[in-house]
Amino acid sequence: MSDTRRMLAETADPLFAELGPGATAERDGDRLDELGLPLLMVSEADGGFGGTWLDALTVFRLAGYHGLGIDLPRMVVARIAAEEDERFFHLMAFARAAQIAGALDAALAMVVGYVNDRQQFGRPLGKFQAVQQSLATFACEAAAANCAAVGAAQALDEGDAEFEIAAAKLRANRAVEVGTTVAHQVHGAIGFTQEYALHDLTRPLWQWRSEFGNDAYWARRLGKDVIARGADHFWPDLTARTD
Amino acid sequence: MQTFATEVVDWPDTAPALREQVRALVAEHGEPDPVRRANSWTKADPAFSRRLGEAGLLGMTWPKEYGGHERSQLERYVVIEELLAAGAPVGAHWIADRQSAPLLLRLGNDELKERWVPAIARGEAFACIGLSEPGSGSDLASVRTAARRDGDGWVLNGQKVWTTGAHVSHFMIALVRTEAGSERQAGLSQLVIPMDAPGVSVKPIIDLTGAHEFNEVFFEDVRLPDSALLGVEGEGWKQATAELSLERSGPERYLSSMALFLELVRYAGPQDNPALEELVGRLAAEAWTLRLMSASVAAKLARGEDPALEATMVKDLGNSYEQAIPQLVQAAVDFGHNESAALRAVCFYLLQVSPSFSLRGGTREIIKGIIARGLGLR
Ligand SMILES: Cc1cc2nc3c(=O)[nH]c(=O)nc-3n(C[C@H](O)[C@H](O)[C@H](O)COP(=O)(O)OP(=O)(O)OC[C@H]3O[C@@H](n4cnc5c(N)ncnc54)[C@H](O)[C@@H]3O)c2cc1C
Repeated sequence: MSDTRRMLAETADPLFAELGPGATAERDGDRLDELGLPLLMVSEADGGFGGTWLDALTVFRLAGYHGLGIDLPRMVVARIAAEEDERFFHLMAFARAAQIAGALDAALAMVVGYVNDRQQFGRPLGKFQAVQQSLATFACEAAAANCAAVGAAQALDEGDAEFEIAAAKLRANRAVEVGTTVAHQVHGAIGFTQEYALHDLTRPLWQWRSEFGNDAYWARRLGKDVIARGADHFWPDLTARTD
Repeated sequence: MQTFATEVVDWPDTAPALREQVRALVAEHGEPDPVRRANSWTKADPAFSRRLGEAGLLGMTWPKEYGGHERSQLERYVVIEELLAAGAPVGAHWIADRQSAPLLLRLGNDELKERWVPAIARGEAFACIGLSEPGSGSDLASVRTAARRDGDGWVLNGQKVWTTGAHVSHFMIALVRTEAGSERQAGLSQLVIPMDAPGVSVKPIIDLTGAHEFNEVFFEDVRLPDSALLGVEGEGWKQATAELSLERSGPERYLSSMALFLELVRYAGPQDNPALEELVGRLAAEAWTLRLMSASVAAKLARGEDPALEATMVKDLGNSYEQAIPQLVQAAVDFGHNESAALRAVCFYLLQVSPSFSLRGGTREIIKGIIARGLGLR
């Protein structure tokens, strides 16, 4: 991780943890402004932070991880793209993919903590193989969402990232299905309460999955493109994107 | 909790040229049958393996001293993903190039290295993996095949099973019990066994498609020299399990059904069918993600790290993906049309072989158990 990114993470992490899901722009917006976070992607020449998309990924992920109540990613993107532009839609799809990746990791950590703690039949739930296998599946999905978000950020930093954003949002969307299902199942009734914080992660996850392109939308867009390019282009196109 | 730290892969500058080289070679060799292009890393074609050896595309990262080419791990990665994406028949040398030779280079004595590694790099020596036994599948630590010291050598007795490619291989690296009366993970060692040694016999096992890929291998008073011991006596368990990171994260763990995906794209072209478009899009996104994940692990291995947990996750996701493709295609495609002949043939072939994808290299349940351990649950 670059030094800028580490520094960003070190400032954003505790702040987002403190503000959490209850944060509102009216009350807490100043705190974000103080750190210059909404100007993350505005160039230094224009008085901004001049960040890269990998920097943005770090911040957006953390916003997802802590279920930050303020839509900071939207503030960041709105500074560099007009809401009615296609580019805004794409960048927000990327932002949601990054938030999903972060929130899934947070939910996974919560679930792992819970199953190590909660005892039934005389042992922690985490000792039961069926529980372990569901959590392993969840971990793989969270890993895939994270990798996809990194891939999209890297492509954005290099230029045209339409394919990668589409693929990353679609992959993240799909991970939401497994992640939220397993997280709630394993928590039992407690996870279904207002008092317990799981919903601070799963409710945003459900919302982000349908924002800026649901599964069907991105799958069709990607599919049409791949089909139009033809079977013989698929692999060469894929490798040309990274070479 | 972040279980998979993604490495932003810096692809080698030489990648485009290497890709061209592999694509040209595969085109020249030509595999017209789309079914042969599916699950291609199990298809043995010794002539093709020798061509790759001549072209300097085997043993890419090994020292020149042993016939290698001292190129980077990621250059090797580029070559193997090209071969698999094209469905080239790489089965003959696959295991030797992927894990046996690296293991020999790391742990082998001079005699073993000199005897086998240059021949592997030329595409002339092939290897098989002797882990499973009739009583030891998932519970590998229960292996009973045993070697006892005899003068300055070993005498080996026992049986291995499911040994892929034993019938085309020149040697096996086997996990055997070298300490009489030892139990579980203790007292195991790895031995290098020439397949033509007296007392070694191979009996084919025909799989459900009618193909002969794996075998039973019997050892009856097989005499081996002292130098057959690979690495350290009694450390066989640790050595064999460390090898599995090399085996689990490669592109072969998600590209087995690539031939079918490409036939699906070809078929969908003229259809104007939203369901097919969605399926293609979904599978393309997954392929893109898995490629990133697999390459990320490769980059870590290249740096000398051991991303065992990540490697295992790539195998689990990759196997699920390549296994799902034939089922999804079958559910989405109306096979009544003439123009779908190739698609149908590849789909039905993969439906039959895909159950093996989540068995070979460790079953889904065992793999998920390893991930659960990585999560701190066991
Ligand atoms: C195509 C193919 C190629 C192969 N090539 C080789 C090779 O070259 N060399 C080699 O040594 N082996 C090879 N194998 C063998 C492979 O490694 C074994 O099949 C695998 O380890 C499982 O062992 P088993 O088949 O005995 O199944 P078993 O161990 O009998 O398991 C049967 C089922 O029970 C499940 N199970 C077992 N134990 C547990 C548990 N504790 N908890 C939950 N579920 C459990 C398994 O996951 C599996 O689903 C190959 C297998 C295949 C299919």
